[in-house]
Amino acid sequence: MNENGSKRRDWVKNAAIIFLTIMLLLTFFSNTIMNYSLPEVAVQYVQSGSITTKIRGTGTVESDDPYEVNVKETRKVDSVLVREGDSVQKGDPLFLLADVESTELQAAKDAAKAAQNALDVAVTSLELAILKGDISNATANNIQNGNVMSFANYQKRMESANADVEKLEKGVEDANATIARLESQQGSLAGSTPDTGKEQEAFNAAQNALNADPVKKAYDKIQDYAGKIAECDAVIAERQEGIVTGYITVSSGDLVPILSVSDEEYQIALVNRARYIELMGKEQETVAVPEAKAEYDRLLKVYNDAQAALESKQNSVTNGTNAIAAELNKQRALLADTTAKLTAAQDVRADLLTEIEMELTGGTSLTGGSSIKDLREALVKAQEAVLKEEEKSVGTTIEAPISGTISSINVVSGRETDPTTPAITMLPEGSKFSMSFKVTNDQARRLSPGMQAELVNSWRYDDVVVTLSAIRPDPENPSQQKLAVFDVTGSVTDGQSISVSVGDRSANYEMIVPNSAVREDSNGKFVLMVESRPSPLSTRYIATRVDVEVVASDDTQSAITGGLYTYSYVITTSTAPVVAGQQVRLADN
Amino acid sequence: MKKFLHSLSVRQIILGISGILSFLVFLALLAAFWLLQGKEQSQRMANRWDADGGMAQVSCFFSHDAAISEDMLETFRHSIDSALQEASVTQDSPNASARLWTDAYSADGMITVESDKSKLDAHAIGIGGDFFQFHPLRLLDGSYFSGNDLNSDYCILDEDGAWQLFGSNDVAGMTVMIAGMPHLIAGVVHRDDGYLARAAGLESTIVYVSYSTLERYGTNYGINHYEVVMPNPVRSFAYQYVAEHIGVDEQNLEVVENSKRFKLLERIKAIPAFATRSMNGKAIIYPYWENIARGYEDLLTVIALFGILFLAYPAILLTIYLMIRWKHKTWTVKGVYLHLKDKGERRMEGARAKRRIKRQRKKKYKNRFDEEEEYR
Repeated sequence: MNENGSKRRDWVKNAAIIFLTIMLLLTFFSNTIMNYSLPEVAVQYVQSGSITTKIRGTGTVESDDPYEVNVKETRKVDSVLVREGDSVQKGDPLFLLADVESTELQAAKDAAKAAQNALDVAVTSLELAILKGDISNATANNIQNGNVMSFANYQKRMESANADVEKLEKGVEDANATIARLESQQGSLAGSTPDTGKEQEAFNAAQNALNADPVKKAYDKIQDYAGKIAECDAVIAERQEGIVTGYITVSSGDLVPILSVSDEEYQIALVNRARYIELMGKEQETVAVPEAKAEYDRLLKVYNDAQAALESKQNSVTNGTNAIAAELNKQRALLADTTAKLTAAQDVRADLLTEIEMELTGGTSLTGGSSIKDLREALVKAQEAVLKEEEKSVGTTIEAPISGTISSINVVSGRETDPTTPAITMLPEGSKFSMSFKVTNDQARRLSPGMQAELVNSWRYDDVVVTLSAIRPDPENPSQQKLAVFDVTGSVTDGQSISVSVGDRSANYEMIVPNSAVREDSNGKFVLMVESRPSPLSTRYIATRVDVEVVASDDTQSAITGGLYTYSYVITTSTAPVVAGQQVRLADN
Repeated sequence: MKKFLHSLSVRQIILGISGILSFLVFLALLAAFWLLQGKEQSQRMANRWDADGGMAQVSCFFSHDAAISEDMLETFRHSIDSALQEASVTQDSPNASARLWTDAYSADGMITVESDKSKLDAHAIGIGGDFFQFHPLRLLDGSYFSGNDLNSDYCILDEDGAWQLFGSNDVAGMTVMIAGMPHLIAGVVHRDDGYLARAAGLESTIVYVSYSTLERYGTNYGINHYEVVMPNPVRSFAYQYVAEHIGVDEQNLEVVENSKRFKLLERIKAIPAFATRSMNGKAIIYPYWENIARGYEDLLTVIALFGILFLAYPAILLTIYLMIRWKHKTWTVKGVYLHLKDKGERRMEGARAKRRIKRQRKKKYKNRFDEEEEYR
């Protein structure tokens, strides 16, 4: 029992000693242990000083009045005689061009030639159309000149042609109708025969009476004798003409002609003629008796009347048929004529339509695209373009138009010039330089014309002075940005890039802290001030929040106002986040 | 206690010890969860902006096809003020220049930085707004810059970049050239080099420049990130507002509420969806801080899962033990009540007795004092 008690007491004693030892050690080193768990902070004291708010920017120096030497045609460059930065006087050669026509002039000439060819082809097509009779001269003239009448005019002409055609079509139609009607009538008349008995008797009686009339007989004889006399006269005349029908060789060996009328025939003809004349005379004495003559005339009249009556009776159908036939022939002739006229009128109308179409389209159907007027105009334009290119053409030597400095060269030997790009840019003697860069509206509020800008790395520049001359809206973003424009004087060149800073004048402030010391949350900006609180073992440092307002700032520090003093310590950085009221440890310096 | 221990069987002792150990592991996991939860400062802007709560931090990540421009973000910013006014959320700070909300955006790209000695081709982040308020990287030298600063020609290098260009970290205020334009080094920051950071995209040098510098002088891959910290009068107000009004369709947008992503409940909710977490059907490339945050989300989810398991074990054991004890209890409720009542009455009796003695003593002293006074 005692042994157990003793062991237990030893155990308790040892545990108590160990426990107390540990507690002592922890107490002595508690500060050290705790310090290592605290965030380490770097501090800076609040001091007075000056702050200058600067706006920085970089821009490219440009000449205010650069002079561009342009070659307004594409020519090959033989050699470039100057370099960038060279000073030249007016008239000094700058570069040499090859002695050939420019590409533009060549192209213009080719275009003019092509336009001429096109026009020639079109005119030839037009002339062929005239020769073929496809269009009239007047139409061809209109096509060539591009004359186009008013639509009302064309319409009137077409209406007239259409009216002619319609009229002729009506005529053809009427003729056809009449022919049809007449043919129908003719058909109905062809089967009928008339009664001519009485007329035949009367005629026969009249004929018999006339034939029995001595005057009639005499006339018949006279007529007969006259015929015979004519025959005799013919023989006599032939004999008198001495027409030879051949030759005969007589015993003497001579050729004797053979006449067409022999002597005997001649003598007979003479005798007969005389006889017949005598006989005719006797018959004429019979005819000359007035009473006999009157009787004859009366019988003749009766005969003629009877004959006429007979014929009329006989021809009553024939007359009607013939009249219809005649009318039919007449109508058919009229139809043929009208049809021919109709065809002609239709051709005229078609030709008129073709001509109107050609006039309206300028003959594009002949020329295959553009009208002759347009082709002519195109040719004129192409010729004008050639003249223009010829005017622009320059010689082989390009000289400096002014005295100045070469700022940029955009031509290279062996390559062609570009009419859209200046070949050389020069800075006239005594020209000014400017530079600009974009600023935000906030930055622009802090600038005013007249401010002097400082050059970044100013030791590089001897005599360069940069002054803010204007603040303009930025054309690319006028609502949100401005363009700060500076005048630059001194040893600068066009195209040089310079960086400047410009801003408010310096102002002094009582409390300035590094930018990293200023923090912000929903209650505004604040700094964490370090307050030292002495304790028996060591000094403790507590981070305390102090609300501040930032009145100015630059790249590294900010001027503040608030409830703290100059030479207070503020936390700038820490190894872990620090909140107000938290204990911190200072970084070893 | 000894009697109690002696009454336990071996199995009970083993179960007890394992239960206690499991609970201790749970506590350790809880502590680890709490530590990791507060590690990522880029996810705790809401807390920094307003320690009292009531703020939410919401981040948006865009695909390249979203084609976000500064103008679009400016339009969205103006709409936030109107939305807060409609929700009757106003600034009640005595500081007139205090802001109710703040935001930031950034774009990835590449940029070439030159010093007098050397040249550096680096991954660049073009920032706008109060980027470094949201991402308070550890400053080794100098200070941060903001997209709202007067000048936009600042840059921040990481320590690798500063070493490559100058051979030192103490380079704040020096000038470097970016595409021939001078830029001021505002500060030098520490670059995380842990396992998660390297896997998240921090394996090479990063240069932080203004968005306008990246756009003009570098290769800009487009704005891929926007975040805002703003009042959250009701749950998910800020998240819903940003998701609905940012003006980008769902296929090209991912919205995250940073302020609650590491909370225990969110991590527990993520456990069932753990298998599908890695799947991404959108063409969005997350910036490194979001990749790190997602790594932490996964870690915290695993910790939460194991925490639940390690808590469940002792809880089940305790429950079983209590059930067994209840089953074999030798006391009744009435007995306990009567015992307690008796104890209470005894205590009251004792108190009454003490008061009685006190009164008697007081009376006695008073009488003596009166007698002495009379005597005098």
